[in-house]
Amino acid sequence: MRVVAHLPQQLAAASEAPAELLLIGVDHKTAPITLREQLAYGSDDAAALLAELRGEPSIAELCLLSTCNRTELYLCGRDQPAAYRTAFKRVFLRRAPAIEEEGRFYVKRGSEAARHLLAVAAGLESMVLGEPEILGQVRQAAVQAASCGASGALLDHLLRQAIAAGGRARRETAIGAGAVSFGYAVVELAHTIFQRLEDCAVLVVGAGETAQLVARSLVERGARELRVSNRGERRLAEFRQLFPQAVTVPFARRYDGVRGADVVVATTAAAEPVLDRDGLAEAMAERRGRPLLVVDLGLPRNVEERARELENLFLEDIDALEGLIARNLKRRRAEVPRVQEIVDQELDRFLAWHRARQAEPLIAQLQRRAEDIRRREVQSALRRIPAEHHEALERLTRALVRKILHHPSQYLRAAGEDERIAAIAVLRRLFDLREDGGG
Amino acid sequence: MDSTLAIANLILPLAYLVVTAAYGYHFFAGHRAAERLAPPLLRVTLALHLAYLVLLAARWNQFPAATLSQAASAVAFAVAVVYSFVEWHGRSRATGFWLTSMAFLFELLSALTRTAKAPDLEIFHNPLFAVHVSLGLLGYAGFVVGASYGFLFLRLYRELKRGSFSLFFGKLPPLEVLERMMLGALVAGFVALTGAVVSGGVWAEQLYAGDWQHDPKIIATLLTWAFYGGVLLLRRLRRWQGRQMAVASLAGFAAVLFSMVAVNLFFTELHVFT
Repeated sequence: MRVVAHLPQQLAAASEAPAELLLIGVDHKTAPITLREQLAYGSDDAAALLAELRGEPSIAELCLLSTCNRTELYLCGRDQPAAYRTAFKRVFLRRAPAIEEEGRFYVKRGSEAARHLLAVAAGLESMVLGEPEILGQVRQAAVQAASCGASGALLDHLLRQAIAAGGRARRETAIGAGAVSFGYAVVELAHTIFQRLEDCAVLVVGAGETAQLVARSLVERGARELRVSNRGERRLAEFRQLFPQAVTVPFARRYDGVRGADVVVATTAAAEPVLDRDGLAEAMAERRGRPLLVVDLGLPRNVEERARELENLFLEDIDALEGLIARNLKRRRAEVPRVQEIVDQELDRFLAWHRARQAEPLIAQLQRRAEDIRRREVQSALRRIPAEHHEALERLTRALVRKILHHPSQYLRAAGEDERIAAIAVLRRLFDLREDGGG
Repeated sequence: MDSTLAIANLILPLAYLVVTAAYGYHFFAGHRAAERLAPPLLRVTLALHLAYLVLLAARWNQFPAATLSQAASAVAFAVAVVYSFVEWHGRSRATGFWLTSMAFLFELLSALTRTAKAPDLEIFHNPLFAVHVSLGLLGYAGFVVGASYGFLFLRLYRELKRGSFSLFFGKLPPLEVLERMMLGALVAGFVALTGAVVSGGVWAEQLYAGDWQHDPKIIATLLTWAFYGGVLLLRRLRRWQGRQMAVASLAGFAAVLFSMVAVNLFFTELHVFT
């Protein structure tokens, strides 16, 4: 129980605001897959966990983000060390005792924790840089925390800011641009040739795992028709179970399938090409010039190399796809500084909101004090003033108080940490406001 | 007015250069602000350009295509208008850099070949002149646009064929769209040039009674017309596909440049038959 006993030492000291915010997490950089598997919470498990921890007196707010690559608990502690101990034990240690090993998890506090969540939502912390799913997962975590009553004002706001950062990163930069998986690389290639994937028919030659993966990507992006041709019946049946809409083309008649297709994906384990130049040339002759994208994912190759010579036939092999993916990743990496700028801007917004929120109790106290003074003075003045002027006097004094307090209130809301602390001390002394909210 | 026209003739290439730079910054660097800025800049430049052509027409009291400079400027304007329409219609700024580059080059040609005086021949005041020349310039503009899309088509086609993907990849419209735009521009250009050839032939016959067929400009134009006609016919009869059409559009563009620039500068003084 070495790490559970206390907050890691460097974090126990006061951190940048919001000091009550704490993050405990594991991700693909710190934990191997076996550990991450143990710590992956499904939706029901997460809801049960949030309900369990919500009742803890040391924890004011919490939110759990659990994906295949990360499990992160964001919490606002009333008593930080106690909240940390409880959360670490129940969320992490209970499921994965090996987490205690050095460097398996991370803990962040205050603005560092807030920045981390924003960076996660923007895709900067993902295993595949800029991948789109994480933003949806952050949204889901926010909805779940809110619906369980586990999150409160601070975490709700932070999650909203993170979703905004993620949305902006994808809208304003190319962090999510270009395919970085084989499946979507095929989709990207098809989009480079055809205007609408919805008008394209796809023929998959082969029915194994890769065929399924690519077919899923194409179908998800709206391919009009899916055909499948495979030698073996067992794999074919599996494929058809996954894609009931797929039309089966007998393997011996696969070139018939090519004639009506716009995208052909060949991914069999055959030692010889399953699509040769002459067969493809015949099929192309009947296509009246319409282009054909042929993607060869087989190794050894499934399509005869000479087919590349055919007019309007675009043959792409594994090397081409890998080249495309590498190029897209390079493009995404080049976008990181711009995404970090967005994260910084959204973090500044969050911190400004938090500063304003921190100042609210004092502003309310100041307003109460001013209102008391106003009411007392107006009461004594009303006795000497005719009744028809009472309402005007009320309005006038209220407006005066509001205007006098407007600037100090705005200043308190916008001031930085040090400035605000100094201003609070001065205001307390000037207006005799007590720390406990009285005065 | 002459000094205003001279200044406008210098400002317009600069304006097109700024527009091209904005589209280029968006295309190559993916800059969002440049993407937002480029279309309004283009609209302002087009408004300036239109004002310049109107002033030019008012100054010489004739359709503003009596010199190589004026004709090049009119082609630049037509190319920019066609691109502006394509951008509005297709809601895509992907080809802006390439098309506005063309407009810039023609406007630069206009500035470099500008003469203080325009020839004031009687035929230039004839309404048929406006019809004939505007059709001819529209035809050339169509071929310029077609060649631009042809160039982009070939770039993308070769990358797909080689399976090696450069900066261009993923930034251009799909191959199918580029082919359609190229063909549309070539057909429109050919129809306009046919109109120019027919109207010019009828008109020249009335004016010069057969003594006009040997003008180098006319021979070059007829050869250009025959080239594009042949290419479109091959498309129809022999099913020439995108790649052949793209190569032909670039070859045709060379013919257009020759017909427009070299012939005008070195062989004929823009149809001076007298």
